[in-house]
Amino acid sequence: MKISRRKKFESDMAAELGFHVEAYVEDLVRSGIDRKEAERRARLEFGAMEAAKDECRQAWGLQCMDELRADLRLTVRTVRRNPGFAAIAIFSLALGIGANAAIFGLADAVMLRQLPVRDPGELVFVETAGTAGRDGPPYPFFELLRDQARSYKAMAAFGASGMEIQIDSGREQAQGVWVSGNFYEMLGVAPVIGRTLAASDDQIPGKGGPGGAVAVISRAYWQRRFGGDPAVLGRTIQVFEHAVTIVGVMPPEIMSLDPGLPIDIAVPMTLADPAQLRSRDALWLAIVARLKPGVRMERARAESNALFQAYMADVRIPPEVHKLLFDRIELAPAAKGFGGLRTQFSQPLTAMTILAGLVLLAACVNVANLMLARATARQRDFAVRLAIGAGRGRLIRQTLTEALVLAGAGASLGILLARQGEAALAGFFAESNNPIVLDLSLNGHILLFTLTVAMLTGAAFGILPALQASRGDPAAGLQSGSRSIAGSRASVRIGQALVILQVALSTVLLAGAGLFVRSLRQLESVDLGFTREGILTMEVTPDRQLAGTPQWPATQDEILDRILGMPGVRSASWATTTPMSGRDRGALLEIPGLAARTENDKDIHLAAVSRRYFETFGIPLLLGRAFTPRDDANASKAAIVNQTAARFYFGDANPIGKKVRFANYPSHDLVYEIIGVVKDAKHDSLRERPSRFIYLPIPQSVDRINRLALAVRCTGDAIAFAGPVRQAIQSVRATVSASNVSTLEKQVRQSLSRERLVMALSIAFGALALALACIGLYGILAYAVTRRTNEIGIRMALGATQGKMVWLILREAMALAASGIVIGVPAVLALERIARALLYGVGPFDIPAFGCALMVLLACAALAGIVPARRAGRLDPMSALRCE
Amino acid sequence: MKKQVELVQGTLDMLILKAVSLGGLHGYGVLLRLQQLTGGRLRIQQGSLYPALYRLERQRLIASEWGESDNKRRAKFYTLTSSGRKRLKAEEEGWNRFSMVVACVLGAVPEGS
Repeated sequence: MKISRRKKFESDMAAELGFHVEAYVEDLVRSGIDRKEAERRARLEFGAMEAAKDECRQAWGLQCMDELRADLRLTVRTVRRNPGFAAIAIFSLALGIGANAAIFGLADAVMLRQLPVRDPGELVFVETAGTAGRDGPPYPFFELLRDQARSYKAMAAFGASGMEIQIDSGREQAQGVWVSGNFYEMLGVAPVIGRTLAASDDQIPGKGGPGGAVAVISRAYWQRRFGGDPAVLGRTIQVFEHAVTIVGVMPPEIMSLDPGLPIDIAVPMTLADPAQLRSRDALWLAIVARLKPGVRMERARAESNALFQAYMADVRIPPEVHKLLFDRIELAPAAKGFGGLRTQFSQPLTAMTILAGLVLLAACVNVANLMLARATARQRDFAVRLAIGAGRGRLIRQTLTEALVLAGAGASLGILLARQGEAALAGFFAESNNPIVLDLSLNGHILLFTLTVAMLTGAAFGILPALQASRGDPAAGLQSGSRSIAGSRASVRIGQALVILQVALSTVLLAGAGLFVRSLRQLESVDLGFTREGILTMEVTPDRQLAGTPQWPATQDEILDRILGMPGVRSASWATTTPMSGRDRGALLEIPGLAARTENDKDIHLAAVSRRYFETFGIPLLLGRAFTPRDDANASKAAIVNQTAARFYFGDANPIGKKVRFANYPSHDLVYEIIGVVKDAKHDSLRERPSRFIYLPIPQSVDRINRLALAVRCTGDAIAFAGPVRQAIQSVRATVSASNVSTLEKQVRQSLSRERLVMALSIAFGALALALACIGLYGILAYAVTRRTNEIGIRMALGATQGKMVWLILREAMALAASGIVIGVPAVLALERIARALLYGVGPFDIPAFGCALMVLLACAALAGIVPARRAGRLDPMSALRCE
Repeated sequence: MKKQVELVQGTLDMLILKAVSLGGLHGYGVLLRLQQLTGGRLRIQQGSLYPALYRLERQRLIASEWGESDNKRRAKFYTLTSSGRKRLKAEEEGWNRFSMVVACVLGAVPEGS
């Protein structure tokens, strides 16, 4: 009920009752009674006015509100009287709730949230599927499906790609996406300024729309590159060979349907490479479609698949490739976009959610313990209230109100802390080599989550003290002195149990942190198979005039020679993929005379590399020779395999001189001779087991190569060579662009970013839980000293030493800690099983991790115990005995 | 002075409904009418009238409206609602049945006398 309405209720009631009394007085006066006497009689016969009013309020249902208000007032008053208690309670709750809100925000952004598009539930991805997994169909099939399928309301295509941009005279690489003209219209995404792309912008291959080529850019790019100047609309920039006019700025999170991928610019598909658009078997785009209402996914799939099989009838590809990639059409829900990010982070997020939950539990236990201690201290107060007729329900409600107020305050502060945490998390994701852009701003989901957590938390830690409060016997409570109240054995035991629980939770969190730290250390010290220090890497892309021409390999050679001539450069090389760059490609290897046992036996990683590649990366050659400049396009085809591939295909036989072919490339009749074997090197991640690799010389590659990775091994700080190397490249040809400049060391480090995130969070959570446990332990011990003052006095009077008394209390601290640890260890083992996939190289019972956790715990327990223990030791027996 | 009777527990609501059913009344008027109808033989704590009125209004058995009393003062008038009328009827029947049963029991004479 609103305050104003409440006021009206009160004044109406007063007026009504006042009228009654006055009317009665008037009547009495009229019957001849003296006014004073009449007023007295009216008051008397009416009865207690305030009691009547109260009953009216109750009849009207206002009692609850009033009681709530009284509870709140009392809570605020008690909080103000005990600021220390409130501060500790609110702060520990804020940490627990904040940790959960932050992790939930992350989970929401990565796992739960649907894309901010119109009716996301209707969207599906149309994908080609095979034994190698799923990918997007070729462009001609997209056109066919768009024009012929009846299951869809609308259909759009998009494909992310690095784009070469020229603004004024500056040339640079940007992350772009080719989109069919209707893409943003279909999704229902509104531009920030200007207009979005339209179907008419994507009509004429090579030209775009009738009004010329246009593009939209993301807000992030707009702000970074154009300073957020609205005059960017209408500006013309060069994208590859096309002059393109910028017509709009789009919200960055929905430039494509790949969550987390930061896209700078979107360009209509008709401006993409015509060869790619024509290709009937190139997989470079993704199709997203809107189902017609009432059309089930399975029906749409069947229709699309029928069209696809008809389409594939005249596409000539090797049967193996057909089975691998072009077997059939599958649909997938697209409401949340591509699942790459979700897959990558589902495990760490699950682990983090569990850990954050444990921290919150620890905070709950802490506050419950504080409240219990206070309930004991207030037992007398409660006894009085019970004695004068308060219902037990009222006392329970009062305690719960207090709990909820504390939880609410904790949640408010927790949200603030979570904002800080999320800023750090977002920064963490954005700084990696393949930056992930997450929208971690506060939203309704997070608020609702936090509110729910706060309510549950409040109820959880409030319930025990509430029951405790109501159970009191008023008579006993009133009679007993302070000592016997404090000595209530049940409440002491509950307090001890809670502290043990806290220690157990800390054990779990600390041991978990220990496991993650150990795991990261193991990963960092893993044998990479290559040298990580002093290697500069970058991606080099030729301009469109150069790409695909015979001049490009010549230019590569020239650039390499120039870089090798630079002072401080020890070696340099080109390659299609470098270790830890996130790029990879596969091939199907056929060995004449060797039958594959299973389809997967043919799978092999493929890299085309230049001379000095193995030297640059410090990968040792075990057998045969490395590539030389003589392995050019005209020479006989040569290949080098790694140890694992050699052992897998040839066993103990000497692989040198063996012949191989590649089944999945147009040039599949070319025969390569193995000329060397190199040692295994990690490629995708530090966790991977060695996989099969085959290297070819770039001039003899199975297909056309445009973008290449350049690796330069330098003396000293590699990144310092970035500028000079870039200059060297551009002095050979100014239109060749270099991007993604990094060092191998940095890439190795970034490949562990997930592990580092988990480790950092688990340490933070562990420390938090430890701090909470120490507070709890200190509290219960300080209380024990007070409780046992008498006993200690007697013991000292009988000749016990100070040391003995200190030990008496410390022993209790150790006993509590040890009990908690004993309970915690099985929980750690359970957690360890859940986190198995995140760990590397640590056994189920890792001694260093556990040992460290236990040492830290015991040390902290001793620390928490030493202050009360010393107080016990310093007690003066005489005054202790007298103490009542 | 006539002998006064105490109110039987739970009957006040029914009496108020009956009083209001005879025409709109303010709270004081309800008291006067009940005294008039009982000839002043029913003892009612005046203050207990209002919680009952509020409770009945909350249950939507009576409705209230501010108006002017006979002596031109602002007063809150109560009228019976249709569900109040139904409730009154049910209560009356219940009460009659009850009093009849009680009367039967109390009217019994010892066998054989």
